[in-house]
Amino acid sequence: MNSSLRTSASGMAAQQRMIDVIANNLANVNTTGFKRSRMSFEDVLYETLQGSRSSTAQGSETVGPVQIGKGVRIGAVLRLHGQGAPESTQRPLDVAIEGDGFFQVQRPDGTTAYTRDGSFTLSDSGTLVTNGGHAVLPVITVPGDATSITIGPDGTVSAIGAGSQTPVELGRIELARFVNSCGLLSIGENQYVETPAAGQPMTGSPQEDGFGRVLQGALETSNVEIVQEMTDMIAAQRAYEINAKAITASDEMAKAASGLVR
Amino acid sequence: MSMRGIVNSARTLSYYRRLQEVTANNLANASTDAFKADRMTARQLPGQEYPVPIEQTDLEQGRLRETGRPLDVGLEGPGYFVVSTPRGERLTRGGSLRLDASGCLMDGRGDPLVGAEGPIRVNGAQVEIRADGTVLVDGTGAGRLRIETVDEPALLLKEGAGRYVPRGALRPVPETQVFVRQGSVEEANLDPLLSMVALVNIQRSYGANIDALKVLDGVLGSVTNSVGRVQ
Repeated sequence: MNSSLRTSASGMAAQQRMIDVIANNLANVNTTGFKRSRMSFEDVLYETLQGSRSSTAQGSETVGPVQIGKGVRIGAVLRLHGQGAPESTQRPLDVAIEGDGFFQVQRPDGTTAYTRDGSFTLSDSGTLVTNGGHAVLPVITVPGDATSITIGPDGTVSAIGAGSQTPVELGRIELARFVNSCGLLSIGENQYVETPAAGQPMTGSPQEDGFGRVLQGALETSNVEIVQEMTDMIAAQRAYEINAKAITASDEMAKAASGLVR
Repeated sequence: MSMRGIVNSARTLSYYRRLQEVTANNLANASTDAFKADRMTARQLPGQEYPVPIEQTDLEQGRLRETGRPLDVGLEGPGYFVVSTPRGERLTRGGSLRLDASGCLMDGRGDPLVGAEGPIRVNGAQVEIRADGTVLVDGTGAGRLRIETVDEPALLLKEGAGRYVPRGALRPVPETQVFVRQGSVEEANLDPLLSMVALVNIQRSYGANIDALKVLDGVLGSVTNSVGRVQ
Protein backbone atom coordinates (compact mmCIF):
# COMPACT_ATOMS: atom_id res chain seq x y z
CA MET A 1 0.00 0.00 0.00
CA ASN A 2 1.14 3.50 -0.73
CA SER A 3 2.59 4.70 2.56
CA SER A 4 2.17 8.38 1.75
CA LEU A 5 -1.60 7.84 2.02
CA ARG A 6 -1.17 6.81 5.65
CA THR A 7 1.27 9.65 6.29
CA SER A 8 -1.25 12.20 5.03
CA ALA A 9 -4.07 10.49 6.90
CA SER A 10 -2.11 10.88 10.15
CA GLY A 11 -1.78 14.59 9.33
CA MET A 12 -5.53 14.87 8.83
CA ALA A 13 -6.27 13.00 12.08
CA ALA A 14 -3.88 15.28 13.97
CA GLN A 15 -5.53 18.43 12.63
CA GLN A 16 -8.94 16.98 13.50
CA ARG A 17 -7.76 16.61 17.12
CA MET A 18 -6.46 20.16 17.01
CA ILE A 19 -9.94 21.34 16.01
CA ASP A 20 -11.41 19.28 18.89
CA VAL A 21 -9.18 21.06 21.40
CA ILE A 22 -9.92 24.48 19.90
CA ALA A 23 -13.67 23.72 19.99
CA ASN A 24 -13.42 22.86 23.69
CA ASN A 25 -11.51 26.08 24.36
CA LEU A 26 -14.15 28.10 22.53
CA ALA A 27 -16.98 26.28 24.31
CA ASN A 28 -15.46 27.37 27.63
CA VAL A 29 -14.84 30.98 26.73
CA ASN A 30 -17.22 32.04 29.52
CA THR A 31 -16.31 29.37 32.08
CA THR A 32 -14.98 30.83 35.31
CA GLY A 33 -11.33 29.99 35.91
CA PHE A 34 -11.06 27.90 32.72
CA LYS A 35 -7.58 27.42 31.31
CA ARG A 36 -7.12 26.92 27.59
CA SER A 37 -5.26 23.94 26.18
CA ARG A 38 -3.13 23.55 23.15
CA MET A 39 -1.98 20.55 21.14
CA SER A 40 1.58 19.50 20.75
CA PHE A 41 2.48 17.17 17.89
CA GLU A 42 5.57 15.12 17.21
CA ASP A 43 6.98 13.42 14.15
CA VAL A 44 6.98 9.62 14.13
CA LEU A 45 9.45 6.98 13.01
CA TYR A 46 11.62 7.47 9.99
CA GLU A 47 12.43 4.82 7.45
CA THR A 48 16.09 5.14 6.61
CA LEU A 49 16.59 4.19 2.97
CA GLN A 50 20.25 4.94 3.04
CA GLY A 51 22.46 6.12 5.87
CA SER A 52 24.95 8.93 5.54
CA ARG A 53 28.07 7.84 3.75
CA SER A 54 31.16 9.12 2.03
CA SER A 55 30.65 9.69 -1.66
CA THR A 56 34.34 9.66 -2.55
CA ALA A 57 36.92 7.05 -1.75
CA GLN A 58 38.89 9.52 0.37
CA GLY A 59 35.82 10.32 2.44
CA SER A 60 36.28 14.01 1.79
CA GLU A 61 32.66 14.49 0.81
CA THR A 62 29.81 13.00 2.77
CA VAL A 63 26.26 12.55 1.63
CA GLY A 64 23.46 12.97 4.12
CA PRO A 65 21.09 10.15 4.98
CA VAL A 66 17.95 9.55 2.93
CA GLN A 67 15.06 9.16 5.33
CA ILE A 68 11.35 9.04 4.78
CA GLY A 69 9.11 10.06 7.65
CA LYS A 70 5.87 8.29 8.39
CA GLY A 71 3.67 11.12 9.55
CA VAL A 72 2.73 12.79 12.77
CA ARG A 73 1.23 11.85 16.11
CA ILE A 74 -0.15 13.67 19.10
CA GLY A 75 2.55 14.45 21.65
CA ALA A 76 0.43 16.00 24.37
CA VAL A 77 -2.44 18.29 25.10
CA LEU A 78 -1.02 21.02 27.30
CA ARG A 79 -3.06 23.23 29.55
CA LEU A 80 -1.85 26.79 29.71
CA HIS A 81 -2.19 28.25 33.16
CA GLY A 82 -1.98 31.90 32.21
CA GLN A 83 -3.90 34.37 34.36
CA GLY A 84 -7.45 35.14 33.30
CA ALA A 85 -8.74 38.67 33.76
CA PRO A 86 -10.61 39.24 37.04
CA GLU A 87 -14.18 40.30 36.42
CA SER A 88 -16.00 42.25 39.10
CA THR A 89 -19.28 40.68 40.25
CA GLN A 90 -19.80 42.54 43.57
CA ARG A 91 -21.00 39.29 45.09
CA PRO A 92 -19.32 38.91 48.52
CA LEU A 93 -18.67 35.18 48.17
CA ASP A 94 -17.03 35.43 44.74
CA VAL A 95 -13.27 35.33 44.99
CA ALA A 96 -10.63 35.39 42.31
CA ILE A 97 -6.96 34.54 42.67
CA GLU A 98 -4.63 37.04 41.13
CA GLY A 99 -1.32 35.25 40.76
CA ASP A 100 -0.22 31.75 41.60
CA GLY A 101 -2.29 29.19 43.51
CA PHE A 102 -5.42 27.04 43.56
CA PHE A 103 -8.28 26.83 46.06
CA GLN A 104 -8.43 23.45 47.77
CA VAL A 105 -11.71 21.60 47.64
CA GLN A 106 -12.83 18.45 49.44
CA ARG A 107 -14.15 15.83 47.03
CA PRO A 108 -17.00 13.51 48.14
CA ASP A 109 -14.51 10.63 48.30
CA GLY A 110 -12.34 12.51 50.80
CA THR A 111 -9.57 13.47 48.37
CA THR A 112 -8.57 17.02 47.65
CA ALA A 113 -9.21 18.71 44.34
CA TYR A 114 -7.88 22.06 43.20
CA THR A 115 -9.71 24.85 41.42
CA ARG A 116 -9.32 28.44 40.28
CA ASP A 117 -13.08 28.92 40.30
CA GLY A 118 -13.92 30.96 43.38
CA SER A 119 -17.68 31.27 42.97
CA PHE A 120 -18.43 30.06 46.49
CA THR A 121 -21.68 29.80 48.41
CA LEU A 122 -22.63 28.75 51.92
CA SER A 123 -23.98 25.29 52.72
CA ASP A 124 -27.03 24.84 54.96
CA SER A 125 -24.65 24.44 57.91
CA GLY A 126 -22.90 27.69 57.05
CA THR A 127 -19.62 26.30 55.67
CA LEU A 128 -17.98 27.83 52.65
CA VAL A 129 -18.57 25.51 49.66
CA THR A 130 -18.09 25.63 45.90
CA ASN A 131 -20.89 25.96 43.38
CA GLY A 132 -21.10 22.17 43.29
CA GLY A 133 -21.42 21.91 47.10
CA HIS A 134 -17.88 20.72 47.86
CA ALA A 135 -16.32 22.16 51.04
CA VAL A 136 -13.49 24.65 50.64
CA LEU A 137 -10.42 23.64 52.67
CA PRO A 138 -9.63 24.52 55.40
CA VAL A 139 -13.28 24.47 56.43
CA ILE A 140 -14.59 27.92 57.27
CA THR A 141 -17.98 28.19 58.96
CA VAL A 142 -19.92 31.42 58.83
CA PRO A 143 -22.29 31.92 61.78
CA GLY A 144 -25.96 32.11 60.86
CA ASP A 145 -26.42 35.64 62.19
CA ALA A 146 -23.60 37.17 60.14
CA THR A 147 -24.67 40.27 58.26
CA SER A 148 -21.62 40.86 56.14
CA ILE A 149 -18.62 38.79 55.13
CA THR A 150 -15.26 40.24 54.25
CA ILE A 151 -12.46 38.32 52.54
CA GLY A 152 -9.16 40.15 52.64
CA PRO A 153 -6.43 40.02 49.97
CA ASP A 154 -4.46 37.72 52.31
CA GLY A 155 -7.39 35.24 52.42
CA THR A 156 -8.65 36.13 55.90
CA VAL A 157 -12.41 35.61 56.14
CA SER A 158 -14.20 37.72 58.72
CA ALA A 159 -17.85 38.42 59.44
CA ILE A 160 -19.84 40.99 61.33
CA GLY A 161 -22.53 39.42 63.47
CA ALA A 162 -25.99 40.87 64.08
CA GLY A 163 -25.96 43.76 66.53
CA SER A 164 -22.17 43.96 66.45
CA GLN A 165 -19.83 46.50 64.89
CA THR A 166 -16.54 44.62 65.06
CA PRO A 167 -15.65 41.93 62.53
CA VAL A 168 -14.80 38.49 63.87
CA GLU A 169 -12.11 36.49 62.11
CA LEU A 170 -13.47 33.11 61.01
CA GLY A 171 -10.47 31.59 59.28
CA ARG A 172 -8.08 32.00 56.40
CA ILE A 173 -8.34 30.58 52.90
CA GLU A 174 -5.32 28.45 52.01
CA LEU A 175 -3.98 28.03 48.52
CA ALA A 176 -1.98 25.25 46.93
CA ARG A 177 0.42 25.34 44.05
CA PHE A 178 2.47 22.95 41.97
CA VAL A 179 5.82 23.05 40.22
CA ASN A 180 4.14 21.93 37.03
CA SER A 181 0.51 22.93 37.17
CA CYS A 182 0.12 21.86 33.51
CA GLY A 183 0.51 18.30 34.78
CA LEU A 184 -2.69 18.45 36.83
CA LEU A 185 -5.52 16.22 35.69
CA SER A 186 -8.75 17.95 34.79
CA ILE A 187 -11.80 16.22 36.27
CA GLY A 188 -14.54 18.62 35.17
CA GLU A 189 -16.45 21.11 37.32
CA ASN A 190 -13.40 23.40 36.89
CA GLN A 191 -11.47 21.11 39.21
CA TYR A 192 -8.13 19.39 38.95
CA VAL A 193 -6.50 16.57 40.88
CA GLU A 194 -2.80 16.09 41.48
CA THR A 195 -0.69 13.68 39.41
CA PRO A 196 2.95 12.61 39.71
CA ALA A 197 3.74 14.92 36.79
CA ALA A 198 2.35 17.98 38.57
CA GLY A 199 4.42 17.35 41.71
CA GLN A 200 3.41 17.55 45.34
CA PRO A 201 1.04 20.36 46.33
CA MET A 202 2.67 23.12 48.34
CA THR A 203 0.17 24.91 50.50
CA GLY A 204 0.39 28.39 51.91
CA SER A 205 -1.51 31.57 52.50
CA PRO A 206 -2.35 34.17 49.88
CA GLN A 207 0.18 36.98 49.48
CA GLU A 208 2.89 34.89 51.15
CA ASP A 209 5.75 32.82 49.70
CA GLY A 210 4.92 33.76 46.13
CA PHE A 211 1.21 32.94 46.31
CA GLY A 212 -1.19 35.30 44.59
CA ARG A 213 -3.66 37.54 46.31
CA VAL A 214 -7.36 36.98 46.69
CA LEU A 215 -9.89 39.45 45.32
CA GLN A 216 -13.32 39.50 46.88
CA GLY A 217 -16.30 40.31 44.67
CA ALA A 218 -14.57 39.18 41.50
CA LEU A 219 -14.22 36.02 39.42
CA GLU A 220 -11.36 34.97 37.21
CA THR A 221 -12.58 34.77 33.64
CA SER A 222 -11.47 32.10 31.20
CA ASN A 223 -8.04 32.75 29.65
CA VAL A 224 -9.33 31.78 26.20
CA GLU A 225 -8.89 34.52 23.64
CA ILE A 226 -11.40 34.17 20.85
CA VAL A 227 -9.21 35.79 18.20
CA GLN A 228 -6.32 33.46 19.03
CA GLU A 229 -8.57 30.40 18.86
CA MET A 230 -10.14 31.52 15.58
CA THR A 231 -6.78 32.02 13.90
CA ASP A 232 -5.59 28.65 15.21
CA MET A 233 -8.75 27.11 13.84
CA ILE A 234 -8.21 28.59 10.39
CA ALA A 235 -4.62 27.33 10.41
CA ALA A 236 -5.75 23.83 11.44
CA GLN A 237 -8.43 23.80 8.76
CA ARG A 238 -5.95 24.77 6.06
CA ALA A 239 -3.46 22.18 7.24
CA TYR A 240 -6.25 19.60 7.12
CA GLU A 241 -7.07 20.58 3.54
CA ILE A 242 -3.46 20.43 2.44
CA ASN A 243 -3.13 16.92 3.83
CA ALA A 244 -6.32 15.94 2.02
CA LYS A 245 -4.83 17.33 -1.21
CA ALA A 246 -1.71 15.23 -0.62
CA ILE A 247 -3.92 12.16 -0.39
CA THR A 248 -5.59 13.06 -3.68
CA ALA A 249 -2.19 13.52 -5.31
CA SER A 250 -0.96 10.12 -4.06
CA ASP A 251 -4.16 8.54 -5.28
CA GLU A 252 -3.82 10.09 -8.75
CA MET A 253 -0.26 8.81 -8.97
CA ALA A 254 -1.31 5.30 -8.00
CA LYS A 255 -4.12 5.47 -10.55
CA ALA A 256 -1.71 6.56 -13.30
CA ALA A 257 0.62 3.70 -12.41
CA SER A 258 -2.13 1.11 -12.47
CA GLY A 259 -3.20 2.48 -15.88
CA LEU A 260 0.08 1.11 -17.27
CA VAL A 261 -1.26 -2.41 -17.26
CA ARG A 262 -3.06 -3.13 -20.50
CA MET B 1 17.72 -1.09 -25.63
CA SER B 2 14.09 -0.39 -25.07
CA MET B 3 14.02 -2.63 -21.99
CA ARG B 4 16.63 -0.45 -20.32
CA GLY B 5 14.46 2.57 -21.02
CA ILE B 6 11.58 0.90 -19.23
CA VAL B 7 13.75 0.03 -16.23
CA ASN B 8 15.03 3.61 -16.05
CA SER B 9 11.50 4.97 -16.28
CA ALA B 10 10.43 2.67 -13.47
CA ARG B 11 13.32 3.90 -11.32
CA THR B 12 12.38 7.48 -12.06
CA LEU B 13 8.79 6.72 -11.05
CA SER B 14 9.95 5.20 -7.80
CA TYR B 15 12.01 8.33 -7.12
CA TYR B 16 8.92 10.51 -7.56
CA ARG B 17 6.93 8.21 -5.31
CA ARG B 18 9.51 8.72 -2.56
CA LEU B 19 9.54 12.43 -3.20
CA GLN B 20 5.78 12.37 -2.73
CA GLU B 21 6.18 10.50 0.57
CA VAL B 22 8.69 13.07 1.81
CA THR B 23 6.39 15.94 0.84
CA ALA B 24 3.40 14.21 2.48
CA ASN B 25 5.43 13.81 5.68
CA ASN B 26 6.41 17.48 5.63
CA LEU B 27 2.77 18.48 5.25
CA ALA B 28 1.62 16.06 7.97
CA ASN B 29 4.05 17.80 10.32
CA ALA B 30 3.01 21.34 9.44
CA SER B 31 1.97 21.90 13.08
CA THR B 32 4.72 19.88 14.76
CA ASP B 33 6.86 22.01 17.06
CA ALA B 34 10.50 22.35 16.03
CA PHE B 35 9.95 20.17 12.96
CA LYS B 36 12.54 20.59 10.23
CA ALA B 37 11.30 19.95 6.71
CA ASP B 38 13.10 17.45 4.49
CA ARG B 39 14.13 18.37 0.97
CA MET B 40 14.67 15.54 -1.46
CA THR B 41 16.47 16.28 -4.66
CA ALA B 42 18.21 14.06 -7.13
CA ARG B 43 21.44 13.83 -8.97
CA GLN B 44 22.45 11.82 -11.91
CA LEU B 45 25.54 9.70 -11.68
CA PRO B 46 27.64 9.41 -14.84
CA GLY B 47 26.40 6.60 -17.04
CA GLN B 48 23.07 6.37 -15.29
CA GLU B 49 19.81 7.52 -16.78
CA TYR B 50 17.72 7.70 -13.66
CA PRO B 51 17.82 10.05 -10.66
CA VAL B 52 19.51 9.01 -7.43
CA PRO B 53 17.79 10.62 -4.44
CA ILE B 54 19.72 12.85 -2.08
CA GLU B 55 17.99 14.25 0.90
CA GLN B 56 18.70 17.21 3.07
CA THR B 57 16.97 18.38 6.17
CA ASP B 58 16.32 22.08 6.00
CA LEU B 59 17.95 23.31 9.21
CA GLU B 60 16.68 26.84 8.91
CA GLN B 61 15.33 28.45 12.05
CA GLY B 62 11.56 28.14 12.54
CA ARG B 63 9.54 31.02 13.87
CA LEU B 64 9.17 31.21 17.63
CA ARG B 65 5.59 31.23 18.85
CA GLU B 66 4.88 32.44 22.34
CA THR B 67 2.80 30.07 24.45
CA GLY B 68 3.36 31.42 27.96
CA ARG B 69 3.89 27.92 29.36
CA PRO B 70 7.00 27.99 31.57
CA LEU B 71 8.16 24.55 30.43
CA ASP B 72 7.96 25.35 26.71
CA VAL B 73 11.39 26.07 25.33
CA GLY B 74 12.55 27.03 21.88
CA LEU B 75 16.03 27.70 20.55
CA GLU B 76 16.97 30.79 18.64
CA GLY B 77 20.12 30.05 16.71
CA PRO B 78 21.94 26.85 15.83
CA GLY B 79 22.33 23.94 18.23
CA TYR B 80 20.35 21.34 20.12
CA PHE B 81 19.47 20.32 23.64
CA VAL B 82 20.94 16.98 24.68
CA VAL B 83 18.55 14.21 25.74
CA SER B 84 19.85 11.17 27.55
CA THR B 85 17.99 8.08 26.33
CA PRO B 86 18.57 4.39 27.06
CA ARG B 87 20.01 4.11 23.54
CA GLY B 88 22.47 6.95 23.97
CA GLU B 89 22.47 10.70 23.69
CA ARG B 90 20.05 12.33 21.30
CA LEU B 91 19.65 15.91 20.15
CA THR B 92 16.45 17.92 20.13
CA ARG B 93 15.40 21.47 19.36
CA GLY B 94 13.16 21.58 22.38
CA GLY B 95 9.42 22.00 22.51
CA SER B 96 7.07 21.20 25.33
CA LEU B 97 9.03 19.83 28.24
CA ARG B 98 7.53 18.07 31.21
CA LEU B 99 8.58 16.85 34.62
CA ASP B 100 8.80 13.30 35.86
CA ALA B 101 7.77 12.20 39.36
CA SER B 102 11.09 13.30 40.85
CA GLY B 103 10.92 16.71 39.17
CA CYS B 104 13.49 16.13 36.42
CA LEU B 105 13.14 18.04 33.16
CA MET B 106 12.08 15.65 30.40
CA ASP B 107 11.48 16.00 26.70
CA GLY B 108 8.08 15.20 25.17
CA ARG B 109 8.83 11.48 24.99
CA GLY B 110 9.90 11.28 28.63
CA ASP B 111 13.69 11.13 28.65
CA PRO B 112 15.71 13.66 30.66
CA LEU B 113 17.26 16.75 29.15
CA VAL B 114 20.72 16.92 30.58
CA GLY B 115 23.08 19.55 31.83
CA ALA B 116 26.79 19.12 32.42
CA GLU B 117 25.99 17.24 35.65
CA GLY B 118 23.21 15.07 34.28
CA PRO B 119 19.44 15.52 34.58
CA ILE B 120 18.18 18.82 35.95
CA ARG B 121 15.83 18.60 38.89
CA VAL B 122 13.34 21.36 39.44
CA ASN B 123 11.64 20.99 42.78
CA GLY B 124 10.24 24.35 43.58
CA ALA B 125 7.48 26.74 42.72
CA GLN B 126 8.99 28.73 39.92
CA VAL B 127 11.19 27.64 37.06
CA GLU B 128 13.17 30.14 35.11
CA ILE B 129 15.21 29.11 32.10
CA ARG B 130 17.63 31.79 31.00
CA ALA B 131 18.77 32.53 27.48
CA ASP B 132 22.07 30.71 28.08
CA GLY B 133 20.28 27.56 29.28
CA THR B 134 20.76 28.15 33.00
CA VAL B 135 17.82 26.75 34.96
CA LEU B 136 16.84 28.64 38.10
CA VAL B 137 14.39 27.17 40.57
CA ASP B 138 12.94 29.78 42.92
CA GLY B 139 15.94 31.96 42.13
CA THR B 140 18.68 29.42 42.83
CA GLY B 141 20.65 27.67 40.11
CA ALA B 142 19.70 24.06 39.40
CA GLY B 143 22.08 23.49 36.52
CA ARG B 144 22.64 24.50 32.95
CA LEU B 145 21.20 22.73 29.94
CA ARG B 146 23.76 21.51 27.46
CA ILE B 147 23.31 23.16 24.08
CA GLU B 148 25.49 21.38 21.61
CA THR B 149 25.88 20.56 17.97
CA VAL B 150 27.87 18.33 15.66
CA ASP B 151 30.36 19.29 12.99
CA GLU B 152 28.04 18.31 10.18
CA PRO B 153 24.39 18.80 11.17
CA ALA B 154 23.40 17.62 7.68
CA LEU B 155 24.36 14.09 8.67
CA LEU B 156 22.02 13.94 11.66
CA LEU B 157 19.61 11.05 11.52
CA LYS B 158 16.01 11.76 12.45
CA GLU B 159 14.54 9.39 14.98
CA GLY B 160 11.02 10.79 15.41
CA ALA B 161 9.63 12.76 18.36
CA GLY B 162 11.82 15.67 17.31
CA ARG B 163 14.99 13.76 18.12
CA TYR B 164 18.16 13.42 16.10
CA VAL B 165 20.84 10.78 16.35
CA PRO B 166 24.21 12.53 16.33
CA ARG B 167 27.08 11.24 14.23
CA GLY B 168 30.49 12.23 15.50
CA ALA B 169 31.45 14.11 18.61
CA LEU B 170 29.24 16.75 20.19
CA ARG B 171 30.61 20.19 20.83
CA PRO B 172 29.04 23.08 22.74
CA VAL B 173 27.60 26.01 20.82
CA PRO B 174 29.04 29.38 21.93
CA GLU B 175 26.48 31.16 24.07
CA THR B 176 26.67 34.25 21.88
CA GLN B 177 25.15 32.31 18.97
CA VAL B 178 22.20 30.55 20.52
CA PHE B 179 19.49 31.67 22.92
CA VAL B 180 16.99 29.60 24.86
CA ARG B 181 13.54 31.15 24.80
CA GLN B 182 11.38 30.09 27.70
CA GLY B 183 7.63 30.19 27.17
CA SER B 184 7.99 29.81 23.42
CA VAL B 185 8.12 26.95 20.98
CA GLU B 186 9.77 26.86 17.59
CA GLU B 187 7.26 26.28 14.81
CA ALA B 188 7.81 23.91 11.92
CA ASN B 189 10.05 25.58 9.33
CA LEU B 190 7.97 24.48 6.40
CA ASP B 191 6.27 26.67 3.87
CA PRO B 192 2.91 25.00 3.14
CA LEU B 193 2.56 26.94 -0.10
CA LEU B 194 5.88 25.72 -1.49
CA SER B 195 4.97 22.19 -0.41
CA MET B 196 1.70 22.47 -2.32
CA VAL B 197 3.59 23.60 -5.41
CA ALA B 198 5.94 20.66 -4.93
CA LEU B 199 2.96 18.33 -4.69
CA VAL B 200 1.57 19.51 -8.04
CA ASN B 201 5.01 19.31 -9.58
CA ILE B 202 5.55 15.75 -8.42
CA GLN B 203 2.17 14.67 -9.70
CA ARG B 204 2.81 16.18 -13.16
CA SER B 205 6.34 14.79 -13.43
CA TYR B 206 5.06 11.39 -12.41
CA GLY B 207 2.35 11.61 -15.07
CA ALA B 208 4.88 12.62 -17.71
CA ASN B 209 7.10 9.67 -16.86
CA ILE B 210 4.11 7.35 -16.99
CA ASP B 211 3.38 8.67 -20.49
CA ALA B 212 7.00 8.13 -21.52
CA LEU B 213 6.82 4.58 -20.19
CA LYS B 214 3.66 3.98 -22.19
CA VAL B 215 5.40 5.16 -25.37
CA LEU B 216 8.38 2.89 -24.69
CA ASP B 217 6.01 0.04 -24.02
CA GLY B 218 4.19 0.74 -27.28
CA VAL B 219 7.42 0.78 -29.26
CA LEU B 220 8.55 -2.47 -27.67
CA GLY B 221 5.14 -3.97 -28.34
CA SER B 222 5.18 -3.10 -32.01
CA VAL B 223 8.74 -4.37 -32.34
CA THR B 224 7.92 -7.75 -30.84
CA ASN B 225 4.65 -8.08 -32.71
CA SER B 226 5.43 -6.61 -36.16
CA VAL B 227 9.07 -7.32 -36.90
CA GLY B 228 9.46 -10.53 -38.79
CA ARG B 229 5.83 -10.83 -39.69
CA VAL B 230 5.24 -11.50 -43.35
CA GLN B 231 2.38 -9.54 -44.70
